[in-house]
Amino acid sequence: MPELTRRRLMKAALAGSAAITFSGCSVLPGRANPHGPQHYTGAIGLPDGRFAVGAVAPDGSLLWQSPVSTRCHSGCNRPKTAEVVFFERRPGWAFYVLNSKTGVRLHRIEAAEGEHFVGHGIFSPDGRFLYAPANRYEPGEGIVAVYDSQRSYQRVNTFELNGIGAHQIILHPDGQTLIVGLGGILTHPDYGRIKLNLDTMEPALVLMDRHSGQILGRFRPSRHQLSTRHVDVAPDGSIYAAYQYQGPAHHLPPLVARYRNGHYEEIDLGVSVHQELGNYIASIVAHPENDLVAIASPVGGTALIFNSRTGEVAEKASIEDCAGVEALAGGDFMVSSGRGKLIRMGKGRPAIEIATLPVSWDHHLV
Amino acid sequence: MKQLTISVCLASTLAAAPLMAADANNPEAQPADYRAQWHSDILTGYQNLEARSQTLAAQAETYCKTPSSEGFEQTQRAWRDAFLAWQRVRFVNFGPVKRGNLDWQFQFWPDSKNLVARKAKFLLKGNTAITPETITESGVAVQGFPMAEYLLYDQDFNKSDKALPAEHACQLLIRVTDHIANNGETVANAWGDFQKNYVENDQYTDLTIRAAMAGIELLEERRLAQPMGLRGTGKRSVYSADAWRSGASLIAADATIQGLQQQFMPAFSRLLKDHEQADLARRIAEQLDEAHAKFPELDRPMGPLLTNDEEFRAMQSLYVHVSQANVLLSDQAAAALGIVRGFNSTDGD
Repeated sequence: MPELTRRRLMKAALAGSAAITFSGCSVLPGRANPHGPQHYTGAIGLPDGRFAVGAVAPDGSLLWQSPVSTRCHSGCNRPKTAEVVFFERRPGWAFYVLNSKTGVRLHRIEAAEGEHFVGHGIFSPDGRFLYAPANRYEPGEGIVAVYDSQRSYQRVNTFELNGIGAHQIILHPDGQTLIVGLGGILTHPDYGRIKLNLDTMEPALVLMDRHSGQILGRFRPSRHQLSTRHVDVAPDGSIYAAYQYQGPAHHLPPLVARYRNGHYEEIDLGVSVHQELGNYIASIVAHPENDLVAIASPVGGTALIFNSRTGEVAEKASIEDCAGVEALAGGDFMVSSGRGKLIRMGKGRPAIEIATLPVSWDHHLV
Repeated sequence: MKQLTISVCLASTLAAAPLMAADANNPEAQPADYRAQWHSDILTGYQNLEARSQTLAAQAETYCKTPSSEGFEQTQRAWRDAFLAWQRVRFVNFGPVKRGNLDWQFQFWPDSKNLVARKAKFLLKGNTAITPETITESGVAVQGFPMAEYLLYDQDFNKSDKALPAEHACQLLIRVTDHIANNGETVANAWGDFQKNYVENDQYTDLTIRAAMAGIELLEERRLAQPMGLRGTGKRSVYSADAWRSGASLIAADATIQGLQQQFMPAFSRLLKDHEQADLARRIAEQLDEAHAKFPELDRPMGPLLTNDEEFRAMQSLYVHVSQANVLLSDQAAAALGIVRGFNSTDGD
């Protein structure tokens, strides 16, 4: 962890108490999805420079904190079980299987030879198969690696994405289709996080059959440097993709796209909004109870909610280092930040800081 | 934009003066004025890099035509001059230098897997001619100053029968230095052409300040603290520094400090003063001056300084001033201007 960040975290820890401080309300709102756990789990950076995965309980207390050897990025809850999986940040050499109620580590599964994970994964509806995007780094090939949780997370299959830079993966409400953000950026562990192919990127939103690995659809953004990293899907099957633009800062292209009824279209939120987002979106979440979609940009320090039908921005807030977004029961969203803050946002109401912990939340809460 | 509702006890952020707001002390100053000066100052730096790189390429060719020990030393000096010119503009991490990864082409570092040496050995193994295309296709570990440094300074390599002025090594040196010179010309021209977009777009103020913050943090953390054993395992190791083969790690640090003094601070000081932060501007400048004042005394290879506690103290003093400058710039000035470098905002995922 860079010293700058560590120093800031230390200051934050010293300035505040170690406990959560509330303003506005005393408990975290429930999740929009009633089937999963009601607590929130995320990868965290600690004030002393170490890393962990941590969970916040519905009463606002830190439920558990499970140390990991390197920074993690995102993960997923295993349906019908008390397991949560978290992936090391790209290039991720392992994922961790934790008890979601206690944080006790159950497994640490290393990436296969010649591959690394990219920070995301999703389970099949029955909780058996884990689909993890990965990079086969010598040839630079994006794949979805399939693990069987009922066989101690043995690797059981590999699906080819026919592209570079797989990132977030989610499951369509049909239970059969995997939705993958293919960022298009070639990296190699020997070269750290250097982007090796900015001139020839081919990002895409990819739809894949989770049983056969057959690619069902591939949709390209309007510019080749619109790295398609993050994705979400609404209950009606509308798919959203969020971009991170790799071109010059003064270009302000659309950063969000929607696939619905066979059409892939980009949503223009307006040049001034794209500027506030810093050409970068870290998370996108479509609310399952309404037409709202929320995005967060740590680069721009901006989180906003827009209407998925009209593209109109419904709410916007300045939140330093914000990145994670979760849908809350009742129609609001929760945004997490690298400053340890959890902030509630909803249409027609000011953003409210719910809690602060002396940790840095990494990009995604699950 | 709606403001967050934040309880009083948590309202710890400093009262920041947004960069796009009117300047408190100088209401006539426009943010574009600062960028116009930055553009001009950085252009000077890139033009110097272009000129020094061309001198290096010409000197490499001259040496390889008529090799001599004096010519070898002249080539080493030309490498060092060009490398230091790069260090002065190394903090600029946006704009034309990002096109085609020119920044990584100039200097691939850190090189934890010693790719530079591995690639050099691979390229020099056979008798296949080394062409400009060879360099273009061989990746960033081959294309810049570290590869030329390996050929000119690596002790083991220089004892081998493949060492300069052997034909193959000369071919590699000439091609690599030509590549550097071409890139120097490209980035200088492209930065010149970038003027309108840079000056007219407000986001480049923020990006320029962030670039300086990232540059000084890299200097403090990776280029000084890491080899000095102040981070990680606590073990001192010159191999964690950049330019250890040439012994130029410390003078390169000085060049970066000078680059910040000459290409960043003039406009930034003005901006801070216009935002009622004149004292902060003075204190940052003082710390950079103090760090620079350690030279030329500290213009020595870092390795021996790491093994001698007495000498190590001189380096510690440099580190303290760089660290202070970093705190003033990245914490205090950034906060005063409403700039955030966070856990996620620099992550790229």
